[in-house]
Amino acid sequence: MDVSQYLEIFIDETREHLQTLSEQLLILEKEPENADTINEIFRAAHSLKGMAGTMGYKVMQELTHKMEDVFSEVRNGKKKVDANIVDLLFKGLDRLESILDSIVTEGNEGDDNCQDLIDQLLAVINNDAAPAAPAAPAKKKGGKKKEAAAATAEATATAEATATADSDKEKFRSFTYADFESHAIVNAIDEGMHAYGITVYVQESCLLKAARAFLVFKKLEELGTIAKSEPSTQDIEDEKFDLHFSMAFLSKESIDKIKEGIMNVSEIETCYIAELDKETVLKASVGEAQESDEAEEAKEEAKTETPAAAATPAQQKPAAGATASKPVVNRSVRVDIEKLDDLMNLVSELIIAKNGLVSFSNAEQEARSITAGFNDQIEYLERITTNLHQSVMKVRMVPLESVFNRFPRMIRDCSKKLDKKMELYITGEETELDRTVIDEIGDPLTHLLRNSADHGIESAEERKKYGKPEVGTISLNAYQEGNNVVIEVSDDGGGINVEKVKNKAIEKGIVTKEQAEVMSDKEAIDLLFRPSFSTAEKVSDLSGRGVGLDVVKTNIEKLGGDVEVKSVLHEGSSFIVRLPLTLAIIQSLMVTIGTEKYAIPLGSIQTIEDIPVSDIKYVQSSEVIHLRGSVIPLVRLNEVLDIESSKDKNDNLTVVIVSKGDKLAGFVVDDLIGQQEIVIKSISKYIDTPKMISGATILGDGEVALILDVNTLV
Amino acid sequence: MAEVNANLESKQYIVVNLGNEHYGIDIKYIDNIVRMQNITRVPKSQEYFKGVINLRGEVIPVMSLRLRFGLEADQYAKDTRILILKPESHGAIGIIVDSVKEVLTLDNDSIEKPSSKNASDDKLVFLSGVGKNGDELISILNILGVIEDKEDE
Repeated sequence: MDVSQYLEIFIDETREHLQTLSEQLLILEKEPENADTINEIFRAAHSLKGMAGTMGYKVMQELTHKMEDVFSEVRNGKKKVDANIVDLLFKGLDRLESILDSIVTEGNEGDDNCQDLIDQLLAVINNDAAPAAPAAPAKKKGGKKKEAAAATAEATATAEATATADSDKEKFRSFTYADFESHAIVNAIDEGMHAYGITVYVQESCLLKAARAFLVFKKLEELGTIAKSEPSTQDIEDEKFDLHFSMAFLSKESIDKIKEGIMNVSEIETCYIAELDKETVLKASVGEAQESDEAEEAKEEAKTETPAAAATPAQQKPAAGATASKPVVNRSVRVDIEKLDDLMNLVSELIIAKNGLVSFSNAEQEARSITAGFNDQIEYLERITTNLHQSVMKVRMVPLESVFNRFPRMIRDCSKKLDKKMELYITGEETELDRTVIDEIGDPLTHLLRNSADHGIESAEERKKYGKPEVGTISLNAYQEGNNVVIEVSDDGGGINVEKVKNKAIEKGIVTKEQAEVMSDKEAIDLLFRPSFSTAEKVSDLSGRGVGLDVVKTNIEKLGGDVEVKSVLHEGSSFIVRLPLTLAIIQSLMVTIGTEKYAIPLGSIQTIEDIPVSDIKYVQSSEVIHLRGSVIPLVRLNEVLDIESSKDKNDNLTVVIVSKGDKLAGFVVDDLIGQQEIVIKSISKYIDTPKMISGATILGDGEVALILDVNTLV
Repeated sequence: MAEVNANLESKQYIVVNLGNEHYGIDIKYIDNIVRMQNITRVPKSQEYFKGVINLRGEVIPVMSLRLRFGLEADQYAKDTRILILKPESHGAIGIIVDSVKEVLTLDNDSIEKPSSKNASDDKLVFLSGVGKNGDELISILNILGVIEDKEDE
C-alpha cells in the first residue's frame, strides 16, 4: 500500500496535533476539570493515532493509543489528572516528536520502541482503573480504533452477520442501475463472475476519507471490476460523501477474500457484502429500487476465464492522480518556499526593470519628447510592482506564533527543573515576520528565555527578601515598529550586576581596571556578548548571564537585526531583539555624498532637516544639534565613508535624522535624490565590507549603490 | 631543479598583460570578460579592491590585479578589461587587467613549477607555475591564491 503521497500531509498534521496536545495539556495541568480541554486532547490524540496507523507507523500508533487510553480514562471521569500523569504524557509527546523527526530525516520511526513509556502508561491505566472500564485492556492490538465501546460492539456484530441483519445498512440494495450498468452486470454473471453489492463504512474519526475510499477502490480493482458506485467516483474523490459508499462489484473472488481486502484498509469501520443475482439487478434497472432479501447465493457458477467486464464505464474508474485528500475546511495553503523564492526573484527583476524605465523617463523629460501616456504607464507599472511585492511578501510572512508556541512548555519544564515558580506571559504572537527570519529566530529566543528563567528569576526566598511576588514573571512581547519587528524578552528577576560583570571582565583580562572604571553600565553589559566572556560564565557564581549570549548576538546579526539589553539591578532585565521585517526589498532614501550615492532604509528615517552650521554644538568635543528638545549627535557620513564632501564648509547642512529604538542620530549628507524602492543584493565575501554597509543595490542606470546600516552607525 | 610534470595533458589559458608581464589564467575559471565600467567604491575595504560592479543584476566585487601584486595603480585605457572569474564553490569576482592578449594552449610539460629562488615569497602564493610559449614567459596564476585573502596586511 503506497501512502508516500500522504507523507507530507501526515507530517504537517502530526505536528499540528502534537502542538495542540502540548497546549491543551498545559491548560489541563492548571484546570484538571476542564471538560473542553479534555475533549480537545482526546480528539487530537485520536486523530494522531488514526493517522499513524494509516501510515503504518506502528510504534507511534501504539504509543498514542496508550496515551489516548489514559485520556479516555480521564474523560470518563475514572481518573484524576495529577502532576504524575501530566509529566508522563509530556514525556510521551516528546517521544512522539522524536519519532516524527526520525520519520522526517530517516524515513522510518527509528529503533526506539517506546516500550518503557508504554508500560508506564499501562501501569497508569490499570493501576486503579475502575473494573467496569471497558476501554483499554479490551483492545490491545494497535491499528483497531477504540470508539465508544457500544458502537464498536454493534459494528462488529453486524459485520459478522452481513446477510441477515441490518439490510437498511446495505445501501447497495437500493441501487438503481442504468441500462448499461445492469447490462454489464448481467453479462458478467453470464460469463461466470460473481456480482456483489458492497457498502463500506469508514470510521467517523477518519480524516482522509477520500484517501481511504481510494485505497478501497484500488484494492477492489485488483480483485475485479467496479460496475457502479454510489456516490460517483468523482464525488468520492472530492470527499462528497458521508461515512459510507456503495458499489456493485464484479469479481471471481469469494466474498471473504473481498471483505478481507477491504477491511485491510485502515480506518474502515465495517463493510457489508452480498451477492447480487440477475433478477435483482434487472428489476432495479427498470427504476424500482428494490429491497431484496436474498442472502448468500449459490456459488455454483463455474469459475471460467472471462475478460473482465469491458462494459465498465470508463469514468467510473478512480483517476489515480487525483487522490490527494481535500479537507472540507481549507484555511491554510502550504507553499514550497523555493517557489516563493523564485517568485521573489522575479519581482526583484521587475523592480529593476521599472527603475530603469523611471530613470530613462527622467533623462528624456527635458527633451519633451514624451507624452503623458508614457508617464501613466510608468505609474501603472510602479503600482503593479509595489502591489506584487507586497502580496508576495505577505505570502512569505508567518506569524511569530509558530515560534512562540513551544515556549510555554519550555518554561514549565524549566520551572520544574530549577524548582522556581515562574509564569510566562506572551503578547503579540500574531506579529508576522518573513519565513526565513522565523526559521532562524527560534534558537536565539529559546536561549534568551532559558537565560531569564535560569539566571534572571531568583529563588523564592530571595524574591521575598526584595518584596517581590513569589512567582516570577517572564514576558515575551512582540510588536512591529516601522520596518522592524521587536521582540522583547523580559523578566522581573535580579537584573544584571554590573560591578560583578566588570570584575569578571578584569579577571578574564578582557578590560583593564582603568577601562572598567570609566565604562558606562551599558558598555559593561555589552561585555556579556563577548565570545570569550561566555565560557568564563559557566564556572562562575555570578548571575550567569552571558552563557552563549555571543551566539545569540551573532545569529540575530546574521538576520540583519540587533540585540539591546536593559537591566535594573534587583528589578529585572529585558533583552530587546530588533529584526528587519523583510529581507529582500525595502523602501529607501537615496542620498549623495561627494560623488557617491548611498541608500538609507526609509524605515529608520524620522525626519530630514536643514541645519545652519551655527546650530552645531559640541558635547565632549563631538558635534550635536539641538532639535525639538532632544540632543542629537551628528554623524558626518563623508568622514565615516572617507569621501570628500562636495559642499562648502559654511553651507547649511542637510541632516537625515534616523532612529534606532529610542536613540537618534543625524546623518550629514551632501544632497538628497529621493525615495526609491530598492532590491537588496549581498556583496560577496571576498571583499571586506565594513559593518556600516549592509548590502548593495542596483540603480536604474545599472550602477551599484551601497546601503547604509543605520543600526551600526547610530 | 625545476620539477617537470610528466603529465602530457594540455590546458587552455587566457593570457593577460599587466605592464610588461604576461599572466596566464586557466580558462575554466573565466566566466566572462567585460569592458571597464563604473565601479562603486566600497569604503574601508582592502586596498586592492576597487569596489563592486553590476553584472546582469549581480553585485560583483572587483579587484585590481596591479594593486594586488603591489604594482603601481591602474591607468584605465581603452584596452582595460575586467575578467569575471567564477572559481568552483566560490562566488564570482572580477579582476582588472591592462589588456587581454590571447587564448593559449599549453602542455603541462611546458609549465615549470616556480622555485623559491627566482620569486619572492609572497608572489609564490599567486603563481602556480611559469609557462613557456616561444620566447615569452607566462606566469600562470594561482587563482585561489589571488582571490583569497590569507596574509591580511
